[in-house]
Amino acid sequence: MLVLLSAGLTGVCLAQGADLRPPAALTAGQPTVIATSGSGEASFYLLGPGHTFRKQVHLGQEIPLGIDQVRTAGRYLAILCSANGCRSALFYVTPASPASLSFLAHPSRVPVKQLDAISGVAFPYDKFHNLVLAPVTIDFQLKSSVGDSISRPTTTQNGVAWFRANSSNQAGTAQLVAAVGDLSVRRVVQQVASDPCNLRVKGQRTAKGILVETEPVRDCSGNPVPDGTVVTFTETDPAGKSTVDMPIKQGVARAQFLAAGPAIISVASGVVMGNQLQLGGQ
Amino acid sequence: MRPHFALARISSWSALSKIFILSPVFIAFFWCGPRTVGADSMPANSLPQVQLDARNAGPRTLENLTQQNIGRHYANAWQNLAAAFEHNAPTSLSDYFVGAAREQLGQAVADQQKAGLHSRYRDQRHKVDVVFYAPEGDIVELHDSVECDFEVFEGEKSIHHEPAVLRYVVLMTPSADRWVIRQLQAVSQF
Amino acid sequence: MKYLMPLIISFITAILVAAGTFGPTRLGATTGITSGSALPGLSSAAKTPEQAVDKLLNEIQRRNWGVAYAQLVDAGNIDEALFTRDLTGNNGSLRTLSGLESWRLQPLHATNDEAQIRATLRWSTAVGPIRDVRDLKVLRQDDVWKVVWPVPTFPNLPAQIVPVNYLRWDLVTPNGEGEWGDRAVDAPHVRIVSMNAIPYQNGCVVMGEVVNEDTIPAFVNVNATLVDGTGKSIAEESSFDKISHILLPKQVSPYRVDFPNISLQEVKNVRMDAKATLAPTSSDPVIGVMNQKVETDSEGRNVLRGSLLNQSGQTVNIPHVIATFYDSNGRVVWVSDGYVDRPLLPQLPEPFAVEIPGPIVGKVQNYHVVVNYYNIAKS
Repeated sequence: MLVLLSAGLTGVCLAQGADLRPPAALTAGQPTVIATSGSGEASFYLLGPGHTFRKQVHLGQEIPLGIDQVRTAGRYLAILCSANGCRSALFYVTPASPASLSFLAHPSRVPVKQLDAISGVAFPYDKFHNLVLAPVTIDFQLKSSVGDSISRPTTTQNGVAWFRANSSNQAGTAQLVAAVGDLSVRRVVQQVASDPCNLRVKGQRTAKGILVETEPVRDCSGNPVPDGTVVTFTETDPAGKSTVDMPIKQGVARAQFLAAGPAIISVASGVVMGNQLQLGGQ
Repeated sequence: MRPHFALARISSWSALSKIFILSPVFIAFFWCGPRTVGADSMPANSLPQVQLDARNAGPRTLENLTQQNIGRHYANAWQNLAAAFEHNAPTSLSDYFVGAAREQLGQAVADQQKAGLHSRYRDQRHKVDVVFYAPEGDIVELHDSVECDFEVFEGEKSIHHEPAVLRYVVLMTPSADRWVIRQLQAVSQF
Repeated sequence: MKYLMPLIISFITAILVAAGTFGPTRLGATTGITSGSALPGLSSAAKTPEQAVDKLLNEIQRRNWGVAYAQLVDAGNIDEALFTRDLTGNNGSLRTLSGLESWRLQPLHATNDEAQIRATLRWSTAVGPIRDVRDLKVLRQDDVWKVVWPVPTFPNLPAQIVPVNYLRWDLVTPNGEGEWGDRAVDAPHVRIVSMNAIPYQNGCVVMGEVVNEDTIPAFVNVNATLVDGTGKSIAEESSFDKISHILLPKQVSPYRVDFPNISLQEVKNVRMDAKATLAPTSSDPVIGVMNQKVETDSEGRNVLRGSLLNQSGQTVNIPHVIATFYDSNGRVVWVSDGYVDRPLLPQLPEPFAVEIPGPIVGKVQNYHVVVNYYNIAKS
């Protein structure tokens, strides 16, 4: 009686010897068992980062943990409660080997000839969507439409790898790939023309007034500026000033003004100014 | 006349007596009666302490305003997480958790409720290091060492209680008006 | 005694009915709902030119087109349908969404039989009030003054085929599947190229220009936050409609953010934020701004006048003109805007005018106009 009383006063440790022995190291999705000691019935609880369950167990027997119960990497708390109190034990589940990559590439459109304009960040995940924190070598490749290719293997630190590259001189579609072993993820980066360069306009008088047209609008690397880019034509004559914002179509922008007398025509696109044209009267 | 008067007097006395007897009953009911355990009726957890250190952030430098926002939103996220686990309310996670983090935590809360448990994270003190800030500023990785008082209950009975030191690898991304947690993964050490 | 109260009530009722029937009113009518005199035909004759114009405008305000038309001199001179169309608008223009709210009359000159009255009309529209100034001739016929309504001219739109081959951009949104990192297209890249904050009336105004530096169209909004010396935010406002929201690639738009009642002296810093989102749009219609000139109008106000030419094949229902004014250093000194309450028909010019505030006009060396628009079918 005295032994039982003292056992009750001092708590769980002495009560019927119930104890938990979780695995020392565990990988996500790896079935395992938790050994128990003691005798009698107890309630077992497992609190994990993505899963919690409870079951009645016989002390002294092993408690099996299936794939689904240990799929999420993180901290697990196992609790065993019997009539005389509760015991708990901690263990950690680490991620499995990489099975997928999350790859963020920026930007989706980039002007040509820009330094460090393209960047990519990759995170390796295992098949249970746990972030793999162990070092993994990811191969970043940038392939442009004209055949230029860069490859940069990078080892992850804290589960992340990143890289930067310049955009090429020529407009077109570039493929950005992040690969680990057989896994690869692809992104597309549009390399587009930069600001218009050497914007030039020519004009002539017609029966209806003045017809003005730009030369093919290109950037400083010779890439044609995409259709839809706005070119602002301004015509100034003694009657006043006229302007029209005209989108480029098939590489050139055209506009018509009704001025009969002498006129000065100027052109601009964005913050780039072009030449000025002086036309005499009819 | 007398019987009517008596009847009236008895009626009014009955009505009055009903009011006087029942009022304390109602008051007692609303004051001490059963309460619905839920996030709305329990007092809100206070905002956890978060100390954010961005000196090691790279390759991009973390701007001051961004640092303040991340710290504030991370604290809010943990406050919501604590509420979700304490009141078994997975909807508390929807504001600051997305993707895998929300799925996993939501499942954990649902399972916890099914098992008749709830857990409590009290007196949280987070020491957060920014270890990665993407070149485009669209993702940040944090290492969080959190000290808190962690307790697990089955009904009203405490089955586990510890002053815990937890370590998390956290991925946060910006959404429409806040930073949200995309990955919250506990590790034994950084 | 018991009949006194009913008598008093009846008497007051009769007075009120008479006042409502015969008295002038400036209350606005509800657009689209016909209203009229309680007792048609019972109205007093105009004994003065101002009365004639007043009566006419009253009927216009009540949308009693027939009654208003009957008050014109020689009603046969102008077709009733034309008269009505002049006032109600057509082709989904801003006038079709307007009602006459109030007016002010100013006699310009008068003789025994003829007078000229300047009527400054205030139209209440879907986008705010619009001023319309008309100089109306009034003639006396048989002791009654009547208004001569100027015959409106509606241009004849010839039938034609206008090919449309301008670029159009569609936006395809992800269907909810696909992993994180695969879902987003970058927002368009826009940049604020200039900003100028000036005191104006009892407040201050922040204005400048924003450019779409990207190769796709952007829906742009500019916000400004005023910050005091301690770094605390005093106020935050948006450009609202003083900006051309849809910017095609390399297109420049002015913006203006108004802070009424906040003195510029309280402001230490201005924080600008240009938000751009992807927008499906077309580069059609192209609208030219022709023959722009700074002039003084008949009321002595400084205005930038010109005409808009819709170079496409579709009607533009509600054009919106935004003008940027620059000083000799090329700095933005003012941004004005105004809505045109007539539609832009294809290939036909339509005049516009935007006001330049008096204190600003002396600084203006150059200007640039952009045209925004709202089409009923697309809204």
